[in-house]
Amino acid sequence: MKLRMAMKKVFTVSLAGAVVLSLTACGSPKEKKKVDGGTSTSSASNPSDEGGGKEVTLEFQQWWGVELPDGALAEVCQEFTDKTGIKIELLSNPYADTKTQIAAGAAAGTMADVVGLDGSWVYDFAKQGSIANLTDAMKDVGYDDSQLSDQIKYEGNTYMIPVVNFAYPMYVNMDILNAAGVSKIPTTWTEFQDACKAVKEYDSSIAGWAIPLSTESPSGIQNQFMSWLWASGGSMLTDNNKPNLTGNSDLEKTVEFVKELDEAGVIAEGAYSMKEPDMVEEFTNGRVAFMTDGISHLTTIRKEAPDLNFDIVKLPVMEGFTGQSGMDVANWGIGIAENCENKKEAWQFVEYLMSPEVNAKLSELANAFPGNSKAEPDYSKSDELFQKTYDLFQECYAVNEFTGLPTSEELMRTFDEQLQLYLDGDTSSAADMLKAVQEIWEPAFE
Amino acid sequence: MTKGNRSSVFKKKTTPYLYLLPTIILMLILLIIPIIMVVRYSFYDNVIINKNPVFVGLENFKKIITDSTFLAAIKNTFIFVSVSVVAHLIIGICFAMLLNTRYLGNKTKGIFRVIYVLPWMFTASVIAILWKMMLNPNGIVNYLLQFFNLTSQNIEWLGSRKFALLAVTFINIWSGYPFYMISVLAGLQGISTDLYEASSLDGANAVQTFFRITIPQLKPILISLIMLDFVWTIQQFALIWMTTGGGPINATETLSTYIYKQGFSKYQYSMASASAVIVLIICTIIAIFYVRHQKARD
Amino acid sequence: MIGKKKWYVKVLIIIALLVGAFYAAFPILWMFLNSFKPNSEIFAWPPTWISERFSFDAYKAIFQSPDQIRFFINSYVIAGTVVVFTLVIGILAAYAFSRFDFPGKSIINTLIVSVQAVPPITLLIPYLSLIVTLKLYNTYWALILTYMLFTLPYAILMTTGYFNTLPKDLDEAVMIDGGSRFKALWRILVPTAIPGLVSVGMYTFMQAWNEYLFALALTKTNNMRTVPVGINLLMGQHAYEWNQMMAMSVLGSLPVLILFLFFQRYFIAGMTAGSVKN
Repeated sequence: MKLRMAMKKVFTVSLAGAVVLSLTACGSPKEKKKVDGGTSTSSASNPSDEGGGKEVTLEFQQWWGVELPDGALAEVCQEFTDKTGIKIELLSNPYADTKTQIAAGAAAGTMADVVGLDGSWVYDFAKQGSIANLTDAMKDVGYDDSQLSDQIKYEGNTYMIPVVNFAYPMYVNMDILNAAGVSKIPTTWTEFQDACKAVKEYDSSIAGWAIPLSTESPSGIQNQFMSWLWASGGSMLTDNNKPNLTGNSDLEKTVEFVKELDEAGVIAEGAYSMKEPDMVEEFTNGRVAFMTDGISHLTTIRKEAPDLNFDIVKLPVMEGFTGQSGMDVANWGIGIAENCENKKEAWQFVEYLMSPEVNAKLSELANAFPGNSKAEPDYSKSDELFQKTYDLFQECYAVNEFTGLPTSEELMRTFDEQLQLYLDGDTSSAADMLKAVQEIWEPAFE
Repeated sequence: MTKGNRSSVFKKKTTPYLYLLPTIILMLILLIIPIIMVVRYSFYDNVIINKNPVFVGLENFKKIITDSTFLAAIKNTFIFVSVSVVAHLIIGICFAMLLNTRYLGNKTKGIFRVIYVLPWMFTASVIAILWKMMLNPNGIVNYLLQFFNLTSQNIEWLGSRKFALLAVTFINIWSGYPFYMISVLAGLQGISTDLYEASSLDGANAVQTFFRITIPQLKPILISLIMLDFVWTIQQFALIWMTTGGGPINATETLSTYIYKQGFSKYQYSMASASAVIVLIICTIIAIFYVRHQKARD
Repeated sequence: MIGKKKWYVKVLIIIALLVGAFYAAFPILWMFLNSFKPNSEIFAWPPTWISERFSFDAYKAIFQSPDQIRFFINSYVIAGTVVVFTLVIGILAAYAFSRFDFPGKSIINTLIVSVQAVPPITLLIPYLSLIVTLKLYNTYWALILTYMLFTLPYAILMTTGYFNTLPKDLDEAVMIDGGSRFKALWRILVPTAIPGLVSVGMYTFMQAWNEYLFALALTKTNNMRTVPVGINLLMGQHAYEWNQMMAMSVLGSLPVLILFLFFQRYFIAGMTAGSVKN
């Protein structure tokens, strides 16, 4: 009797819970749809193939929406929807969070249909089979890929297409240089070191140069370290894209060059915990004379410090180097998830973003260079320094050797750690340091 | 006991399980299954990346245990956890005693209680962002130190191997003491005033009273707190990841950042799982001690 | 004589309290001040205390963003639901532990306690697969159930403690009067244990309000995101909106603070009850 009562009560409570549960679930219809998104899209994709007119919604996960002016990306996507009837749902998150989400999504099969990719992620996701082969997608629709300035491949097939590219030139704070009595903008490493030292002599609280070496996001290795090597025509890889660090004299010189800067005390403090935005903060506040940084930052710096007198130049090169310089580029790449149910529509969207007009517009919005070689962005309204960078960029070749390497971010991180050990004096020579990195890197390439 | 009470006996046997049913169902589905999956992953060769993973036995564990970074992570975790727990304890007791003083009015004490509990109100990501801002070489902490002539140059709190672990531990201490403080405060208020009166009649001074009355009376609560805190601090991820990312080099690498990097940066899910299993075993042992202690208390 | 001693002890205590208050509150004061500064002034040297360009812009930016407001709503819904369910389920379980002896009691108890020892990060990947399989991915329920998993063990432990302090005569009296155990639990035990339950509820709310990693991994769209993830949203690849992050942090912590102000009496009383059960 009492047992029955007790049971009844327990069941009543759990029943009530269930009712509340289902009520809340119904309360937000959008969420309900998401719940069975995985299966309903698959059943919905059939009628879409047959009926043709059925509504398709693509999820587009990226960090670009956070970087672009508010609502700009949504506008671009809306135009696509107006044209094709395919809806785009934007999932915008900061870079680091996007990476965690895409990596988790790759493991669990929940990746968004279309994803923004960084060149350093491609190899791993392609190997996992979580992003789709775009070479096949292009073949299916007979897409002419000659207009694409670059394609990131894995085992001979394309998995990512760079939508826009960001060049990494050198920013120079002219007021600091003038005050420190540096009249000529350095074009070689020695001149650069001298300029940094002059700045330090002028005001010890101002650093010559900054390098973000935080191991949380070790991209400083590609953008602020290797950029020196590439500007002087060097390479860290062999011809068949294997690590070539041991005995690489160009790279040794680059490591030593940074070490000399560090020993001269001209590198901004806190490098080991610094991230790219922290570095920009230093520059914006007039506490560092030079920085190697993405052109995408131009707007931020202008906004935060309207009175800052700065210029943009090419990276100084190694003594005696006269060849063409490589300019480091970072890009916003795009890919399609393997688990995407509407690959045809997803490709349509990629094609739209890569079309000359849209690509040009995105480039203008992002302060970037287009990934479609036929795109002709109108930079006339852009900052004059942006124009200058564009001209400098034309003189150089675009390079980023980390793009498409296996566990690329981890390679940068281990290089970063070994560099810190060398700078701290734990490793006796640049050659030893590079040998150590080579040994750590090699297993990843097997 | 009496005749015809078979159904009542049955009732007695099943009722407690009925009450536990929702808890058990939730834990079985959402916890036991993932744990089994993690344990299974840890015996296979690179799951998820490999479509057909191979059973490799204890291979992953061998690799992990011989990995110098893992050993550094164990060492750092130990320092991070033990220093945090001890400091939490000391600060928690000190602040609780201050707040329990009979020299001040309740209103004053109430205001300070709210101030003291503030750090507890913030989520780990906020705490990480805030302290990263304050500990920046050009941040307010260095400014204040120089203003009061405590140091002549900027200290790279999070950026040097010498200070990073210390700095991260300090942040964790700041964010975690209020829980101790509140618990100890509650414990203090539960100690009967008779005990103190008796002690003062015996002529004991404040220090003697503290060690003879206060500490022994608080002991059960303190032991629970230490064990809970131990487990919570081992789990600390967001705070470390968002301030130093485990660096410089591996100065602040802890078990949780190590696992995260294995999984999300190297995509070595099997290795991540194997290290997770090791952490699981450590924490389960602590939990068993905790339960034993709880039982001894009852 | 005693009066004199009291006087300087009082001064010492006040000094100690102020030093402690500086340690506890200075970072938060700094956060608060920075939320009113323009972004470029955050790292000014020497630091500015109250900016000449003092403004509420950062707060305005947050209140004008429908996404950010949605994060707050989500966090309330999720944390609130977690509190209710954790309390209900926790009370049932605690009742079993407190009032019954049954085979397997200590094993189940150990298991439940061990659960709070499981570092969440260790389970992230398989857990995510499980949530996807259960079709809960990117829903409130994914987060609600997950947080209940984290909060239940503590809730059960504490509630069992409070129930143990309440004499068994209480519920037996109800049962003798013809009431069921169930009635005894909800009519007598629960109301008597309110202070303890409030402190458990607050703890639960804070856990659910503050969680970051699972909130990030188990949701995909902005309409399911919570406040901690929202704060990170202001941390771009290229630039940090420091002032907005600080403003959002201030706003994000207010609900917890208000809860504490309202319930602190209960909270401390509840903990006292739990701590002196002998």
